[in-house]
Amino acid sequence: MNGHQKSWPIILVITILSAPLVLAYAYLFVDTITNSPPGSVVPHEFTLEHWSFLWQTRPGRLSIWRVTLNSLLFATTSAALVVVVSSMAGYVLSRLNVPGRSFFLAGVMLLHAFPAITLIVAIFIVLQMVGLYNSLIGVILVKAAIDMPLGIWLMKGFYDTVPWEIEMAGIQDGASRFTVWRKLVLPQVRPGIFALALFAFLLAWGEFILPQVLAPSGNAQVLSVYLASLIADDNNFDMALFKSVGLFYIAPVLVLFFVFQNYLMNIYGGGTKG
Amino acid sequence: MTISRLAIWAGAAAVALLGNIGIAAAQNVTISVWSGGTGPNDNYRVDAIEMAADILERERAIAGEDLNITVEKKAYPGWDDFKQALTLAAEAGNAPNIVVTGHEDIAPWSQSGLIVPAEDYLNLDAWPINDIYENLMEIASYGGVVYGLPQDAESRPFFFWKPHMKAIGYSDEDLEALPARVQAGEYTLANVLEDAKKMQDAGVVQAGYGFYPRPENGPDYWQFYTSFGGVMEEDGKLVLDKAAMQRFYQFFADAVAAGVTRKNHIGTPNDQWYSEVPSGKVGIWHGGTWHYARYVNQEGLKDFFGNIAFTLIPAGEGGKANTLTHPLVYLLTSKHGEDETTIAAELIKIASEPRINTLHAIKSAHLGIAHQQSNIDLYSSDRWAREATERLLPHANAMPNNTNFGVYWSAMWKGLESAWTGQKTPEQAVNDVEAELRNSLGEAIVIR
Amino acid sequence: MDASRDKTGLPPASGGAGRAPARRRLGLLDSSRGLGVLLLLPALVLVILFFLMPVVLTGVFAFTNMSTATGISGGAHQVSPGSLRVLTERYGMGELAERLGQPTYLVDERGLAALEETGIAPGIVASLRRGHLDESFASRREFERAIRALPDRPDTRTVKRISDAFSRSLANARFTDAGALVAAAEAIDPDLTPEEKDALASATYTGWSWTTDNFRRLTSSRDTTRVFFNTLFFVAMTLVFFNIGYAMFLAIATHYMPERPAGIFRIVWFLPRISPVVIYVLLWKWVAWDTGFLNAVLSDFGVRPRNWMLDSATQAWFFVIMINGFVGASMGMLIFASAIKAIPETHFHAASVDGAYRWQQVRHIILPQLKWPILFVTCYQTLSLLTSIEQTLLATDGGPGGATEVWSLWIYHTALNNYAGNLQYGYGAAMALVLVVIGIVLSLIYLRLFNYNALITRPRIEL
Repeated sequence: MNGHQKSWPIILVITILSAPLVLAYAYLFVDTITNSPPGSVVPHEFTLEHWSFLWQTRPGRLSIWRVTLNSLLFATTSAALVVVVSSMAGYVLSRLNVPGRSFFLAGVMLLHAFPAITLIVAIFIVLQMVGLYNSLIGVILVKAAIDMPLGIWLMKGFYDTVPWEIEMAGIQDGASRFTVWRKLVLPQVRPGIFALALFAFLLAWGEFILPQVLAPSGNAQVLSVYLASLIADDNNFDMALFKSVGLFYIAPVLVLFFVFQNYLMNIYGGGTKG
Repeated sequence: MTISRLAIWAGAAAVALLGNIGIAAAQNVTISVWSGGTGPNDNYRVDAIEMAADILERERAIAGEDLNITVEKKAYPGWDDFKQALTLAAEAGNAPNIVVTGHEDIAPWSQSGLIVPAEDYLNLDAWPINDIYENLMEIASYGGVVYGLPQDAESRPFFFWKPHMKAIGYSDEDLEALPARVQAGEYTLANVLEDAKKMQDAGVVQAGYGFYPRPENGPDYWQFYTSFGGVMEEDGKLVLDKAAMQRFYQFFADAVAAGVTRKNHIGTPNDQWYSEVPSGKVGIWHGGTWHYARYVNQEGLKDFFGNIAFTLIPAGEGGKANTLTHPLVYLLTSKHGEDETTIAAELIKIASEPRINTLHAIKSAHLGIAHQQSNIDLYSSDRWAREATERLLPHANAMPNNTNFGVYWSAMWKGLESAWTGQKTPEQAVNDVEAELRNSLGEAIVIR
Repeated sequence: MDASRDKTGLPPASGGAGRAPARRRLGLLDSSRGLGVLLLLPALVLVILFFLMPVVLTGVFAFTNMSTATGISGGAHQVSPGSLRVLTERYGMGELAERLGQPTYLVDERGLAALEETGIAPGIVASLRRGHLDESFASRREFERAIRALPDRPDTRTVKRISDAFSRSLANARFTDAGALVAAAEAIDPDLTPEEKDALASATYTGWSWTTDNFRRLTSSRDTTRVFFNTLFFVAMTLVFFNIGYAMFLAIATHYMPERPAGIFRIVWFLPRISPVVIYVLLWKWVAWDTGFLNAVLSDFGVRPRNWMLDSATQAWFFVIMINGFVGASMGMLIFASAIKAIPETHFHAASVDGAYRWQQVRHIILPQLKWPILFVTCYQTLSLLTSIEQTLLATDGGPGGATEVWSLWIYHTALNNYAGNLQYGYGAAMALVLVVIGIVLSLIYLRLFNYNALITRPRIEL
């Protein structure tokens, strides 16, 4: 890099700009295990009381563990679905000679302009017709469908980097196109698949509006809806509680992020380029 | 055998036949009940159904029927999520059997066939329905058909923090006389602004806390429209009284201009509002009868009557003092089996038993629904229930049951918000409301 | 990376020959076309179910007056006070409305015969005939009182069946279709004219009907202009200041920094994107609320506590744009950073030799290289911002006073949120359709801009 010796002014500026963000996340931790006197931001005592939601289920609410399980199911299943569907479709768009291929590829780009929220009433109707309203499966399908265009696009990008020679060799050895894809090409894009899986998992884990509208009640509640309803409930204003539930909710995200940050940043840095 | 005895026998046989003969087989029924706007103090809205189920099971057991009712309860703390979830669930065909909601939903939901008339399943002359206040039964009806049973009644008073009132010169006697003066129209909304200003000038409350109204949309705001002479509906047709609406908007714009109400007040978290008003941080505000329970049970207010005076909503120019009652109702939804709905109907009937309803009325500080509740000690010995009933209920209006009322309501609120926050002048706001309503409702609303 | 690819690639390739028999069995999997269709199938199903069908349905709904009151799946015919008023006012048939709509119960032989047919106890029929023949009642309650006073004292269900059998009006009756309605009306009044029947059928219909009113409402409503400009403002500001501007600043700043701090700052600024939206917005509220961080800090300096997020339209916009912008900045940051990285070092060296200052490097070397990434981010983020809703919904919910109401939020408020339980699906769908059309047009322009055809390389194996 250039001019390392004079980088401190920039670092200073960007540190100041980042401070509020860092502070907000830092206080997310601090406030969950301490109490502060009213009107102050300096904690004066340590406490675990804000975490009581882990072992005490509030009346009229699901147990946090049940909700967490739902979130886990929701995020993993929808990520798996996105990965399977996109790694199949992405290959077609990158390599295979199907009618309307370019049309479909353009379609994938167009789908980005059709976000769920504008169509949510109609999506509700579709779910209702297939009998999946207010069920986890229904939201999983919708979420997977919505993340799919990005997934296909990414996978196409990854497939594009696989050398043709590998496939040529496979075909010459007499393997079917399917086998070539399964046995030869897929292993080549393993890092891409992993990155996409991670990304789709995080997207689903954070999703709020879809489960809120399409699976609002009963046993399908996920963490985002749980937390939002806790905040919206005007009977228990307790910022520390919100933050504790929030930290519980965001913790897996942070862990995954810090461990796999390179994969995730690559998706934006490289994958969507073009 | 005489003819009449034959008839009795035949009648009994018919009853047994129609009444779903289940003498041997046990009948298991699951009845679900969802309730909106239901906090920790309001648990009897759904619990009453459970109690009713127990009674009904016993009644049927005596009749030789083995009925097993499982009640599935779901209480939503707010309204938006509840109505969204309920309407979508109903559209998807899995609405709960019983809904506890505001009476204003009856009109649209009966049109869509989401609910069925309760009177199709109930003998309205039987106890305890025949003891329910006639005006509440009317509010639970649409077009002369009784669609639901009132679940509670309430009304929405103005509150004054007594110590602050004294700080600006009111004596105990003055405060004692305040409710009557409000009712007579001697103490008006203009006085409210004056007194709020005085409190702020005297330094007993901070700027913006003199008059501290409800921080979100709610039926409450129709009271101010009424205070300024507005009418919501006439002969089954919605009415927009532009002049009254403008005076109503002007009042809130004035409150902001005088600095006694914050410009950004709307959107204050509800829980924050609930904890601030009974703490002496606020001079004058308005709420509902249930606030009593909230202040005393949840917010730690020790001496309600020593600290708070309550009155009707004072009159404004061109109108008179009033209050609004917004009864919740038990409604029966369609798309369930006849047997199930019959049982659900029985349950809401039994839940309206004065003794059971009194549990809700007193715990949540709502008002009773039936005459006989005044003969139940729990109710009659409760000072709040007694005084609020006497002082407020005789002057209570209700919102109309009208399919288009939701559109009107949204427009009214949007207009108020824009005038309040200074986005538009009250005059502009009213003109925009008028344009919006002409546009969306056309002939269904009378504008004058 | 390339080396490892070859390693993993080789062994299965040699095993491929052993799979030759399978090839014949799975003929579909062997041709490019067959396999392609098969592999595309799941994606197609999802696209059809959750993109195409909803779009088509939205297009259909947009031309209806659908709401909670009308229901989505079709309607019935209900004689209600509202429909009688329509009959009176719109069709001028007040007399007909009066005749059909006034509750009347008449105990006559026809009703008794019908009652007998339903298999009701003969004793009840007999006592009705004896006690009440030719008597009429003007309200159901009154009539049911009389029925309950019969010696048999029928149970509630039977009472309802009896009163039904003698109803001689349509008051509050509900019919599943127009045929049943007209038949019932004719049973009361055999001399109905065809016009009267038509008017009756259409006035009592509870379901939705086709209309272009939604678009008339949209074009003539003053809210439309306001929300439209709000949306424009929101997208432009967020895009310029954060998704491009701030992202660019971050990318360039981290470029001129040692690798370690650069990595840390990238991580910090990536946090908003990966944080679940509910908790992310909660953190902002914690900063801005009356009892929040900002007020706790500022109160020491004598600043009156206030809800900073909703204090004024300007402040609300400030927060809405920041909240959305912080999320958006990370994408641009990474894309720009990798584009800068791709600039050959020699360019910089040459520039420093020339004694160029950093600013000149940025201007003359970096920015020209970022032309296409900037264009790409602009296009991609315009579409994302147009439809972003969660952050704004949770933060200001369009407030104060509708100041931050943007188009997508407006759709949500119209179609899924109504205090009086009457959601406006049709009107909301019309708004959604507008956004869909804008989205499609923009994406087509973008595709053209990026020379879409260059993105597709022709398959090199024609099999």
